[in-house]
Order: sequence, then C-alpha cells, then structure tokens
Amino acid sequence: MVSVDVRGVSKSFGPVKAVDRVSFRVEDGKLFFLLGPSGCGKTTLLRLIAGFYQPDRGEIYLGDRLINDVPPNKRNIGMVFQNYALWPHMTVYDNIVYGLRIKGVPASQRVERAKEILRVVKMEEYAIRYPNQLSGGQQQRIALARALVVEPDVLLLDEPLSNLDAKLRLETRDEIRRIQRETKVTAIYVTHDQEEALSMAGRIAIMNAGRIEQIGNPKEVHDRPATVFVAGFLGNPNIFKGKVLDEKLEGVITLEWEYGGKIYANRNGLKVVEGQTVVCAVRPENIAIYDSDPGLTRIYNHMEAEIQNLVYYGLMEQYSLRCHGGTVVKATIFNPTSHQRKVGDKVTMIFEPEDVLIYPA
Amino acid sequence: MFEEIQRNLRQIDRTAFVVFIALMGFFTVFLFIPILYIFIGAFFTEGGFTTYYFTLMFTDPVLSESLRNSLMIGVYATILTSAIAVPLAFLMVRYEFPGKRFFQGLLLIPLVMPPFVGAIGMKQLFARYGSINLFLMNLGLMKEPFDWLGQGIPAIVILEALHLYPYLYLNTAAALANIDPTLEEQAQSLGATGFRLFRSVTFPLMLPGFLAGAIVTFVWAFTDLGTPLIFDYPYVLSRQIFSKVQDIRINPMGYAMTVLTLAVAVVAVLVARRYGSMRSYEMLGRGHITPRVRRIGDGKRRWSVTPVYIGLLLVIFLALIPQISVVLTSIAKTWFLSVLPQEYTLEYYYQAVTHPLTVSSVANSFIYSIGSTVIDVVLGIVIAWLLARKTFPGKDILDSTAMLPLALPGIIIAFGYISVFSGTILNPLNNPIPLLILSYSIRRLPYTTRAAYAGFQQTSVSLEEASQSVGASAFQTMIYITAPLIVANVLAGGIISFSSNMMEVSDSMVLAMTQPYYPITKAIYNLDLRLGDGPYIASALGILAMLITASCLLLANRLLGRSMGELFRA
Repeated sequence: MVSVDVRGVSKSFGPVKAVDRVSFRVEDGKLFFLLGPSGCGKTTLLRLIAGFYQPDRGEIYLGDRLINDVPPNKRNIGMVFQNYALWPHMTVYDNIVYGLRIKGVPASQRVERAKEILRVVKMEEYAIRYPNQLSGGQQQRIALARALVVEPDVLLLDEPLSNLDAKLRLETRDEIRRIQRETKVTAIYVTHDQEEALSMAGRIAIMNAGRIEQIGNPKEVHDRPATVFVAGFLGNPNIFKGKVLDEKLEGVITLEWEYGGKIYANRNGLKVVEGQTVVCAVRPENIAIYDSDPGLTRIYNHMEAEIQNLVYYGLMEQYSLRCHGGTVVKATIFNPTSHQRKVGDKVTMIFEPEDVLIYPA
Repeated sequence: MFEEIQRNLRQIDRTAFVVFIALMGFFTVFLFIPILYIFIGAFFTEGGFTTYYFTLMFTDPVLSESLRNSLMIGVYATILTSAIAVPLAFLMVRYEFPGKRFFQGLLLIPLVMPPFVGAIGMKQLFARYGSINLFLMNLGLMKEPFDWLGQGIPAIVILEALHLYPYLYLNTAAALANIDPTLEEQAQSLGATGFRLFRSVTFPLMLPGFLAGAIVTFVWAFTDLGTPLIFDYPYVLSRQIFSKVQDIRINPMGYAMTVLTLAVAVVAVLVARRYGSMRSYEMLGRGHITPRVRRIGDGKRRWSVTPVYIGLLLVIFLALIPQISVVLTSIAKTWFLSVLPQEYTLEYYYQAVTHPLTVSSVANSFIYSIGSTVIDVVLGIVIAWLLARKTFPGKDILDSTAMLPLALPGIIIAFGYISVFSGTILNPLNNPIPLLILSYSIRRLPYTTRAAYAGFQQTSVSLEEASQSVGASAFQTMIYITAPLIVANVLAGGIISFSSNMMEVSDSMVLAMTQPYYPITKAIYNLDLRLGDGPYIASALGILAMLITASCLLLANRLLGRSMGELFRA
C-alpha cells in the first residue's frame, strides 16, 4: 500500500482542458473521493492515474515512484470500471485469476487467492458462472474482486455504482466501504453522486471544469463550501446577490438583497467593503416557515412570503415561496406532519445569519 | 508554442502512424497508381492532353450504344431487383408464418452462383431451339421460334436480378429490422396508418439500408462482364473494355471507357453516401429491438398463408431456373432439339474432376482465394484496429481508402494492373498469380474490414483496459481478450471474402491470360466456348464450384452460430 501524489497535472484534448493544474495527495490506506458533475474531468484524472492517458504536464507519484512514463500494466493499480468490463468469454473464476496468470503466480496459489477474494466479496458460489449469468450487483463485486486479487497498491473506482438500482446502490456502498477497510488498500473513487461521496469518503475533492474547487472531509465541504460552485453542487441552494450595506457589526455583515430588503450574514473571515456585491447561498433545509414573524430577540433574517407551490415527499415537504418582487425561494421542511398549509397561504420565512454562505461575486 | 506542438505529437500514437503509412504505401502501389495510370492513359497520348477518346465514346455508334446499354442494364436490373427484394424483406421481417425459416434459407441460394454460370443453363432453355420454344411449339402455341436471348438486354437484366436480389433483400431486411418499433407506434398514435405511415416514417428510416444494397446492385449489373460474355452479347461497356485489353499499348480507348465506368460507379456511390449509408458499419444491429411482427396462417385463418406461399415459391422457382437448368445441363448426355435432355449421365462430372483444365482451375481458385483471404483478414484486422482504437492524422483517408473498392468494378483494377505491371517483375503475362491474389484481396477488403470493425466496436475498450490494469501488456491483451472477442466477426468476414473470391469473374477473365493459371470461372467460360461436350463439362464444374461455395457458407454459419453463443453479449 502506498500514497498517491498528484502534482500540478494538466491534460487537454484538442482545445479542451479536461484537467487543469490539479494537485492532491491521498494518504496510504485512505478512501479518497473525486466528486463533480459529468464532464468536470474527474474520470480523465482517474485515467491519468491509471496510465490510460499521459499528462501534458505535472507529475504523478505512487509512494516515491514517479509513474508518468510507466505503462498501465506496470503501475500495479487496480481499476473498477463503470460498466464493470468483465470479460464475457471467461467465467467468473477465469476473470479473477487472469491477472494472477499474467503475473506468473503458481496455479496452487492462484486457486487460494481466488477463493479468498471471492469470500471477501461474498461470491464463493459463483466461480463457474459467466458474467452474463450474474446480476448487476454481482458483476460489480466480481469487478471489484478482479481488481483486488492482484493486490494492487492503489484501487481506482470509476462510478462503480451508477449502473445499479437505488436499493442495491445503498447496500453495495456499505460493501465497498467494508472491503476497502478490510483490504486497507489506498482507493480513489470517482462519482457524481454527492450522497455517495459524503457518506463514504475520508476526504473529498470537488471538481469543476478541470479544476479542484475544494478538498476536505465530508463535513467541511458540506458545511463550509469554499466556493459558490461547491455550495451549489452540494445541496440545491437558493443563490442570489447582495450589496454590502454595513460591515462594522461584530461578526455579521448587513446586505441589501437584490430583490429588496435586508439580509444578515455571518462574515466567516470574508473581507468586504461597503458597496461591494457578493453572492449568497441559502440551503432550502435551513429555511424555517412560520405563520407570522415570531419576533426573536437576536439578529435573524425574516421575510414575508406567499406559498406558490408545495410538494409532499413523505419525509419532507418542499415549498416554493414567493417573496418581494415576485422572486421565488425554495424551502424544505422535514417531518411535516404537523403542518396544515396550502397554496396561497401567507407565511413568514426565517433563516439564521450563519446559514447565509457568502462569496465574492 | 513549442510545448503545444510537443503535446500534439505526444497524442499521436507512433505505432499507429507507422502502420498507417505502411498501409497507405500498399494502397498507393496496388490501388491508386493503377487508377492513376488509367486516367493518364485516357487523357494523355503522345500528342499531349486530349479528350478525343471521350468524344469518340459518344459519337461512335457501337461505343455509345454500349454505354447506353450498360446504363440501361444497371438501372433496369436495380428496379427489377428492388421489385423482388423490398416486398420480400417486408414479408420476412414483419410477418411470422409456418415454414418461414425454411424459405429464408431457400431465398439465399442464388448467392452461391454467379449469374454467368446460370447463363450457360439459360441458353439451353431460351435458345432459338431451346426447351421453352420447343415446348411452346409442341403445344402449337408458337409457330416460329422466338429469339429470347437475341434480345440481349432483357435476358441479362433478368439474370442479374435473379442473382442480385438476395443482397438487396438482406440489406433492406436488416434496415427494416433495425427500425425502432416505437417510432412507428408513435406515428400511429398520431394518426398515420397504412401507406402514409410507410411513406412518412418507415421508408425514410429504411432508405439508407436499401440504398446501400441498391448501389451494390447497380454497380454490379452495370459492370458485370461474365453474363454478357456467356450470352455472347458484345454491346456493353464491360465487354468493349475486355476486348481492348489485348491492345492497350496502342489503343487508349480501353482507358477512356474504364474512366467512364469508374466515374459512373463513383457518382452512384456518392449519391448513396449522401444518404449516409456506406459509412454505417452496423453488422449485428444495435441492441434489443423487437420488430413488430404479425402472424399469418394461425388458427381459423390458416388459409390466409396460401398467397404468401404461392408468392414465395414463384420467386424461388424463378430464382432457381438458372441453377436448375445448369444442373440439368450437367447431367444431360445430350440435350439438343428437345424440351428435356434425352438421356442422363454423370460422365461430365467425372470429366470435370479429371480433366486437366478443370483440376488445375479448382486448385488455382483455392490458391488465389486462400491467399487473398489471408491478406484480407490480416489487413482487415489492422485497418479496423486503427480506425476503431487509434487517433492519428489521416484516419479519414484510411477509412475512405479501405471502403473505396466497394465502388470499384473489378474490371477497373484488372485493367489498371495490366497497364501498370506489364513489363515489370509482376507482369501478368508471365505469372499472374501475385496480381490475381492482390486484385482479389483489394476488392474484398471492405468485407473483412467492416466485419472486424464491427467486432472492435462491440468490444468495449474498457475490456482491454481492464486487462492492462491487472498487469497484461498490450500484446497479451490482444491475444487473450480482444482476439477471442472479435474472432467470430473476423471469421465471418473472411469466409464471405473467400467464397466470393472462389467465384470471382472480372479480374480472373482479364488477368489470368494463359490456361495453366485459369481459375474456376475462366475455365467454365473457356469450356463453354468449346463445341460438343464443352457446355456440359462447364455446367458440371459450375455445380461443383457452387457446392464448394455453399458448403463454405454453411460452415461459416455453423462456426458463427457456435461462437455467437460464446460471445455472451449482454
């Protein structure tokens, strides 16, 4: 097991910068996530590490070894492909021992190691099946077993759960987490699913347009998104502009909301001057709804609104609230059974200054 | 700037580029230069540039009639072929009825015999004192014998159509079967039914597949040499070119006619390409489309299948007339001035397998066909690999070059080879074997290339990457992963190349100039010219060749059927 060190790596395809000066480090035995929307360069980055592409600039290290010019088959990196890429002309067993055969592992050891890895992925009974006789989830496990049996230094997973149905995805998530812990392999996992990343990762890099926007543990990136993009990508916040009215208050900035009215936001170390325009993000789940202004004694944001639409989801209710000037704000209320509101009702929405994330415009 | 160039260079696969250059070298020598020679021969004489020979083509009565006739044969054969093939395709794809699989097999029989072999048998039936006239005169329905074959063009058109309809039928059926049924259902739900549905949705969707087949039909009929030769009908372009082969050094007319033939073929292909047909490599369909199938002949309405059977049997009977008449000729002791042979014998089969001319011709055909198939399979895999897996400048050129022979009538390559290689070490007068093998392989290369390309397309790149990621080199990956997954496709393409090489006519007629080098087709032609037992031995040899071709196709089918099952495409 080794660490992975990516230093200033770039990769272009024609005029398109797929990966742009990316650097990060994955410590030995950790599960690291690359999260981002499709086309952000995360799969390209993974394929650069795997060796299927050559970086235009920058270096990639496995431990102390510079691997820029090492071909994929000499890198000792295992990879799980989005479509699993199980060889259809080989049985499960042959798929698994293929890498061992290539590496010249003696036959007796091959059997042992195949058995062991099939036990780890709980697929012992399926050795003589062909891939097309397996369900999606089973194929997924075999793909994982095939990558792990050669005892790679690093395991790369490219959207491994995207072809599974919702329920199976949850189960397999736990399985991958368990297997990664059990084998202690350094792993880099690519996904566009924020829930997957937040629930499984040790650390996450959030990518956009070939760049890394933020690296941190799940709580850090969720609670303190470093950029508007990260805030927008994790959760589906209300985003609007504000002009700084007053920045002299202790820890709190007073803003003029672009649609009229005042908003208070925690400063969070952002340096602003009066008159400057900033971008604000407020997550729907941080907005509370009251029948009328509760008249709290601290600084808080409150705003009159009319319910334009509401959708019931069981666990939660989603509101579209029309405020001043006709602008619409989304709000999510969890555990909504006690509420009895309907479209057209006048309400007051409330959110705390600390839930207003502000970024330079 | 420098860095950018360096980066662009790095993205080019060096191996791929070297292989590409080598391939283009091969094509330059054996494809482009021969065509160039034909152009030079047509436009440049000792006196410099001239279009005199082209003017002559339209002013000389024999030549202009030949040109007109060839075009007419091409157009009429295409129309007649479409009239047979399109309804057949509809019936076979859209309807289910008892015995459908049996008929599907029968309909393809004409594939295994080139029309010029059938022409030998047809002469027996339709000659002035042939079976048909005698039969009609015996019944008193006819007083004077009618000269069916003397009409030339209609006889050729019918024979071409009866041979070519399977190609068009297969293309059209594949196109129809590939139409997503929801597209038609959507149109129906919007109120389109019957002919309106066909005209507005079905027809436009099947058009590319139909056109791809129609263009093959047209180019084949337009340039076919064998059938007019056997019918002894000289007023077509291909025969005029053939007659000029001997004196190409002194008479540039052959070049001019070849250029014109090529121009017509290329225009036809360009028209088809406009509708995006020749570029689509789809071989096995894409995914699981269940065509809309209606059943005929079920339950109470069992008799509704009768017209279907009558129609199918009629087509099959007509299509098999040439084959049946060749079989009859081959087992007739003598067949002269009688409706059916007076006496039967297997003697001519004995002669066909012992006669030195026929024995050497069968051996020659095998040598040429195996040789060219090996070249085709190797080149086809390499070209398909470059096209499907690699990025390099000039990829489009390679693609177009490899597909060019589809539009190239055999007689053009043969003619070009003679003009380029006469007097060189490859002189076909001394030993035509290398040029025969090369001309066969150039012309059938699109089959293996397309087949292998389809194999690569269906084999996800990630299967190869997965192999590399567990430690296999590029070569190990090729051997253990890629090769087993594309072998069925390559085999299919190879066998199709092989069987069509066994029955190749144009190149063989022109390039195999002396008897020891005759392949089967030219041996049949020469035997047929011989008086007495010639046509009988020719027919027997034709039937034997047909059996060889048919068993190759059956073998391919079996091999494919089995390995298809091993491909496990989910």
